[in-house]
Amino acid sequence: MSGSRSVQFSTSPLLASKTPVWRSKFIVAAMALGFLGLVGRAAYVQVFNNDFFQRQGEVRYARTLVMPPSRGKIIDRNGMLLASSVPAPSIWANPEEMERDPAKLKELAKLLGMSASALDKKLEDDDKTFVWLRRQMDEPDAKAVLALGIKGIYSHKEYKRLYPEGEAAAHIVGFTNVEDQGQEGVELVFQKALAGKPGSRRVIKDRLGRVVETVGDVLPPEDGRDIQLSIDSKVQFFAYQKLREAVLEHKAKAGSVVVLDAHSGELLALANYPSYQPDKRVNLSGEQLRNRALTDTFEPGSTMKPFAIALALEKNLIRPETVIQTAPGRINITGSTITDAHPHGPLTVNEVIQKSSNVGTVKIAMQMTPRDMWEMFTEVGLGQKPNVPFPGVAAGRLRPYKTWRPIEQATMSYGYGQSVSLLQLARAYTLFARDGEVVNPGLLKSDAPVQGVRVISVANARAVRKMLNMAAGPGGTAQKAQTMGYSVGGKTGTAHKQEGKGYAGNKYRGVFVGMAPIEAPRIVVAVMIDEPSNGKYYGGDVAAPVFSEAVQQTLRVLGVQPDMAVKPQVVTQAVEESF
Amino acid sequence: MMRLNVLLLVAVVLSALALVRSQYETRRLVMAIEKVNKESALLEVEHQRLLVERRAQATPQRVQSLAQQKLQMRVATPAITQYVSMTPGNAGGASGGVAK
Repeated sequence: MSGSRSVQFSTSPLLASKTPVWRSKFIVAAMALGFLGLVGRAAYVQVFNNDFFQRQGEVRYARTLVMPPSRGKIIDRNGMLLASSVPAPSIWANPEEMERDPAKLKELAKLLGMSASALDKKLEDDDKTFVWLRRQMDEPDAKAVLALGIKGIYSHKEYKRLYPEGEAAAHIVGFTNVEDQGQEGVELVFQKALAGKPGSRRVIKDRLGRVVETVGDVLPPEDGRDIQLSIDSKVQFFAYQKLREAVLEHKAKAGSVVVLDAHSGELLALANYPSYQPDKRVNLSGEQLRNRALTDTFEPGSTMKPFAIALALEKNLIRPETVIQTAPGRINITGSTITDAHPHGPLTVNEVIQKSSNVGTVKIAMQMTPRDMWEMFTEVGLGQKPNVPFPGVAAGRLRPYKTWRPIEQATMSYGYGQSVSLLQLARAYTLFARDGEVVNPGLLKSDAPVQGVRVISVANARAVRKMLNMAAGPGGTAQKAQTMGYSVGGKTGTAHKQEGKGYAGNKYRGVFVGMAPIEAPRIVVAVMIDEPSNGKYYGGDVAAPVFSEAVQQTLRVLGVQPDMAVKPQVVTQAVEESF
Repeated sequence: MMRLNVLLLVAVVLSALALVRSQYETRRLVMAIEKVNKESALLEVEHQRLLVERRAQATPQRVQSLAQQKLQMRVATPAITQYVSMTPGNAGGASGGVAK
């Protein structure tokens, strides 16, 4: 009994199969086939058609993120910010899904800076799914809006440009629109460099939207380059400030000032009035937007005389001491009469410039050929577009010499008949400041030495500079150009404005171009005041004082030592140091 | 033979678990790095904003009006300036040539 109880497992009768063997074999085979199918499928998914499935997976989970570049800054020559981007979120709403709790909406309207009714109006159409509520807010305000927690209110990341120098540098720097595209000035000219290139990368996001993996290569964004201008923001500010004061004082229509570094040709300042705030642009008029110093051309008037004289010196027709008879203050050229504002007697060439005698200049100029004068004017840049990359830079007008009639040659010698922009005028005067070389104005800071183009000899350039110095001295037309501590030289110009076909009797343009210190000029400054109408209108009265102040401040900022004795007012009790 | 198979099976399972874990760890770290990167970008932006703000507080215009109105200062002129010139070759020297 016990024997039958302890049956061996392998011989257990229960296991004795009564089914045919083929059935178990069939099961095994079926399972094997099943596995084979799985293996085949796995191989298909993992090996043969891997690409397809990989792609499908990525389509479901991978996203391409665009990495926006940051816009480059604009800085001045000392690295001071002139324009920079800061985040300025824009707030938008989805009226369809918005909850409308009156108390919260009131709060929202207040934060957005609009009336509750204006907000209602924006939100009234609840078919819409997207409405801008306010673009480019200050970041803290936008955070406060989101903190209200109203459903259906979102923020969109945007940037806006800030311009710390405000209206003083507005015409140089320009501005961007709400899409961050440059619209004016340097912002427009260097748009491509400033904007940079967006990058991108593929990532895998999980179901909560978190990035869990980066796929493939990352294309990093190329941030916009910083643009360093040659402008010195201090010089720019002072120049603008003094210009503004002068325009207001003389009730003028407008004014411009250009300050050039005589060594390098770099623009240290370029300002116009009226101006505008580049980051608050409401009700802007064309008058405010115009960069007059570059785009407006005018007849340069007497500021052209030194070029006629320089050419005559170069041709050995005169010496600075040569006496020219200017009495009786009139001269007749082919039937037309040219007069002096104040008749003089015999004047030396020096005095012709000093007193700005039209008659004297014409007498000298008529000894030369139109072609020589044309070449001189062209070489100093008249009728040529200045090489600054700005929109709307004017080339001015200089007619071909073959069409000059004698009277025109005569009037052009004292600046009527051709036209220039203020920048061109400043550039032309680098001829005297750089001992006979003209140099191209530069807008970007550069450390490379500049190569000027020699037009007249060193000796003649110095001789003219001496005349310019006399013009600003006792007996000259530009005594108001003098400035404390620095010797200056320059030329006034007062031109009747053209109106229609003729000249307007009572509309003038006062101009002054000069340089300082006169022995080794460091800067060239040109000032133009348009339609001064408060009694004074001579360039020597309206423009020269701006020159004087601009020179004073600029040379101080540049750290140039005074070259003239000043009565010191320094109270010092310091003991002399002994060596 | 059987023992070897079991051993291999255990090894495979362990390695699979390790793979899962390391994948998980990668994702966690990627998320962390994303978060930190975002934070760094925000700080960078904040830094830029502060730079602009600092500059806006120190524009020549503001400095001048504050100096003149609040501190009763006036613009320096050559008359009240003592000029010191440095002789070349002596730059930075303790006894730089002082000349008026």
